[in-house]
Amino acid sequence: MSQAVVSVNAGMLLPVLAPAVGAAVVLVVDVAFQRLRRAHYVIALVSLVVGAVATLAGLGMVAGGARQTLCLPGGGQCMYAADSVASALQLAALLAAAVTLLLSWPDDKKQSRGGTAVIVSLVLAATAGATAVAGARDVGSWLVALELATLPTVALVALRGASSAISGAVDLLTTSLVSFGLLALAAGLWFTATGSAFLNPAAALMVIHDPTRRPILVLAVVVVVAGIGFKLSLVPFHAWTPEAYDGAPLPIAAFLAGVSKIAALAALLVVIRAVAPLGAPPLTAIAIVSAVSMTLGNVMALRQDGVVRLLAWSTVAQAGWVVLPLATVSSAAVRASGAYLLAYVLATILAFAVVAALVQTRGAARARNLTGYRGLLRDHPFLASALALALLSLAGLPPGILGVVAKVVALRPVVASELWLLAVVAAVNAVLGVAVYLRWLRAVLASPDSEAKASARQVPDGGASVAALSVRVHPATLVAVGFSAIALVVTSLSPQLILGLFGS
Amino acid sequence: MILLLAALAIPAVTGTSLIVAGRGSATSAEGNANLLSLAASVATAALVIATVIARPVVDYLWLPSLGVRFHFAVDGISAPLLILTAALSVAVVVHARSHPPRGGSPTTFYGCLQLVELGALATFYARDAVLFFVAFEIVLIPMWVLISRFGDSHDLAARADASGRFVLYTVLGSTLMLVGILALVQSAGTANIDALAAAHGAGMARHTQIIIASLLLVGMGIKIPVWPLHTWLPPAHTIAPTAGSVMLAAVLLKMGTYGVVRLVIAPLPIGFGALAPVFGAVGVVGILWGGLACLVENDLKRLIAYSSVAHMGFVVLGLSSGTTVGLQAALFANVAHGVVSALLFFLVGGLKERWGSADLATARAALREVSPRLGLALVVGFAASLGLPGLIGFWGEFLAMFAAWNPAPDRPQGLMRVLAVLAVTGTAVAAGYSLRVLRLIWSGDRTTPAHADARGGEWSVLAVLVAAVLVLGVAPGLVLNSTIKDVTAITSEVSR
Repeated sequence: MSQAVVSVNAGMLLPVLAPAVGAAVVLVVDVAFQRLRRAHYVIALVSLVVGAVATLAGLGMVAGGARQTLCLPGGGQCMYAADSVASALQLAALLAAAVTLLLSWPDDKKQSRGGTAVIVSLVLAATAGATAVAGARDVGSWLVALELATLPTVALVALRGASSAISGAVDLLTTSLVSFGLLALAAGLWFTATGSAFLNPAAALMVIHDPTRRPILVLAVVVVVAGIGFKLSLVPFHAWTPEAYDGAPLPIAAFLAGVSKIAALAALLVVIRAVAPLGAPPLTAIAIVSAVSMTLGNVMALRQDGVVRLLAWSTVAQAGWVVLPLATVSSAAVRASGAYLLAYVLATILAFAVVAALVQTRGAARARNLTGYRGLLRDHPFLASALALALLSLAGLPPGILGVVAKVVALRPVVASELWLLAVVAAVNAVLGVAVYLRWLRAVLASPDSEAKASARQVPDGGASVAALSVRVHPATLVAVGFSAIALVVTSLSPQLILGLFGS
Repeated sequence: MILLLAALAIPAVTGTSLIVAGRGSATSAEGNANLLSLAASVATAALVIATVIARPVVDYLWLPSLGVRFHFAVDGISAPLLILTAALSVAVVVHARSHPPRGGSPTTFYGCLQLVELGALATFYARDAVLFFVAFEIVLIPMWVLISRFGDSHDLAARADASGRFVLYTVLGSTLMLVGILALVQSAGTANIDALAAAHGAGMARHTQIIIASLLLVGMGIKIPVWPLHTWLPPAHTIAPTAGSVMLAAVLLKMGTYGVVRLVIAPLPIGFGALAPVFGAVGVVGILWGGLACLVENDLKRLIAYSSVAHMGFVVLGLSSGTTVGLQAALFANVAHGVVSALLFFLVGGLKERWGSADLATARAALREVSPRLGLALVVGFAASLGLPGLIGFWGEFLAMFAAWNPAPDRPQGLMRVLAVLAVTGTAVAAGYSLRVLRLIWSGDRTTPAHADARGGEWSVLAVLVAAVLVLGVAPGLVLNSTIKDVTAITSEVSR
């Protein structure tokens, strides 16, 4: 009993430790040197990049292989395991967080509320939660990590201080608490069914021959789906999404759409992979939730005129696509779901980055409204092309080949299990999705409307507004747009880069 | 191999660079963009012809995780369609010299045309079922831009409606097709189109074949388009610029029928056999529906769009017969419709520009009086459209009806004969509407308001197409001999 309880390998934990340590360092630096602002961002970016590099070792693992640590003595089970799926999700979360930070890079004029140290450390903490949950293999750390990924985002949304931000934060907080309650219940059910605190196939297999415990395990999985449904914005747990996205500052909305979704799916995949070897029948619950999410999300997105709300409802619809393959519980479905999520995150982050850039040049009123995008191609060809590529990727149409391939990937397990009805619903939703994104794209390609021309003509008169609107895009924002755009172009040319992350 | 890759790379690179980098650079001048895309189209056409002769194969793994291969090749079935695509891509660029695009930057216009060509060529070259789907999708956005930005309607809402309808219907079709393709690949265990065709559905249960075949037929039926899924076509054609209409009718619709041959008839003979009577019946409904609509339609562009529905009905009837003759008829009618519809849309696009509208009810100068070249092309076009022997339209439709009268043994002979008789009625309707149009705008003595005759680029394009109508009408063997070997390979197994 005097030995260490568990073995610890800090190197393997680096994807989690780097952002966590980064958060602590930022806070310490803030106390020591109070006037620094950009240094926080530099520290944060360095820690995220270190974490991202550390995930590379876990990529491309053969099936079944994983970097395990926090193991019980005597070759027992491990509480942390990063296989190729977990590592890929960690990598995506770290890079998405880095882009988010670039988007919120402070400029000289505005003092952000709460100070940069608070924002940066909250982002890093939530990112550490996201990377931790991907690797968590026991009920306790899984639950804690998932909440670590969620709770800082509540503060991040609220920090803007506007009443819309507060109401969005309250929505987010309330749903997070409900979600936490459900997940705690699910954790209890899991323990009741399996008698094990570990979320791995070995635990799940214990119930395979026990007809009384099996229903409890199924119930646990269903409750997990409900609890994660809140975080993934699946219908009927989606209601917070438009409020929170719209109320939050843009970079934080991008964080919610990117890193938070990665954390949520990573948590879901941990459970799904644990029960996959049971050979469960198709999960009708997931199929229904997926079909309804896609449909409602797309229909509501079609009615939005604000781009952030449109992106919020599009998240709801895309969340349906993300869990679509999981209606068939299999390892192929897990890989498909992860690959689809990454394609979605990449395209959505790019869309948010372009919106953030436009807020700086064209003003928030125009950049947040669909009609404000008229003539974008003429005024900002680079931003417009990047946005077009992002939207077409989300719609799943060439030249967004990554989106096309993601659609193929997501549909494949469904078709393989002969869930024809679900496949047809998905096909119809592909059409609705195209309608949503082309509505935006049409505005981007359209010639500038007369109203914009009129205001352009008034430029010589209203000097102040001109100064406000002709501000150049912040270099950090441009870097964020450029980085995401290059990533999307490269992965569109070679989608295998994304698919390969998840092993074969 | 280099030839084939270059044939795809040239339109890809030219199209992308025109759209992305063309703005503001020297190419943005109308003439430069036209010259650049003319050079690209001609080079592509030369390469396509070279690949048709040399039959190279490109094959390497593209997405190892999905087993999708970058697999392109040419065979007898795709060769005529490849040449048609490449030739018409040159024609639309030549035609646009005298009819410059309106509504947006010329670089975008020509870039989109190049990308449409790329998508069509890649579709006909593709030998991997999933790659076929990706290629199928490439044409969508460029065509959407062509219709929504360069459409020649004064009505913005109509343009948005037509382009939206086009893209949404087509995406529905292609996504259903994707579901079908994935199911086919899953149950056959290969995505190689040749291997799928060679297996002829071996080891696949009848009901699986029927489910997959119906998904694929509905999906591609939207693209062909088959009645009652055709409702996107007339507005799209009415609004699209001439180049868009030509590419849409002459090339994009063919991707649907080509897909049916490749992915339904060859790999799923039992499933298609079970659905063929229904497929043939909706084809014949399309023949009659399209023909009757043409009898009363007063917008000339929309009329030709409806006649497309009728002509594609013959293709569908030929496909459903299940015989070598029927398949040959369908593939020939495919090419024939490509040539005739291109000719007619070039003509009508030019007339609409001269007249200011395409309304048939307005009194015009008779074409034979004021513009004999346009008049000649119009007469040849509509004569071919009504299936006059000796012209290109005759062989496909005649052979399709013949094949429907003598269908494959597993088809219900009585029903197929009824369909053949109804199709014959359809040709009578076609004669009716063709002569109606000729009476309204070709014959007569009116000489006011006068308009200019075709010359330059427009006349050379029309003349070449008129020549193609005559040559292939007299010597249909040029196409039929190309396809016969691969068609026999499909049908000999089907009828076994």
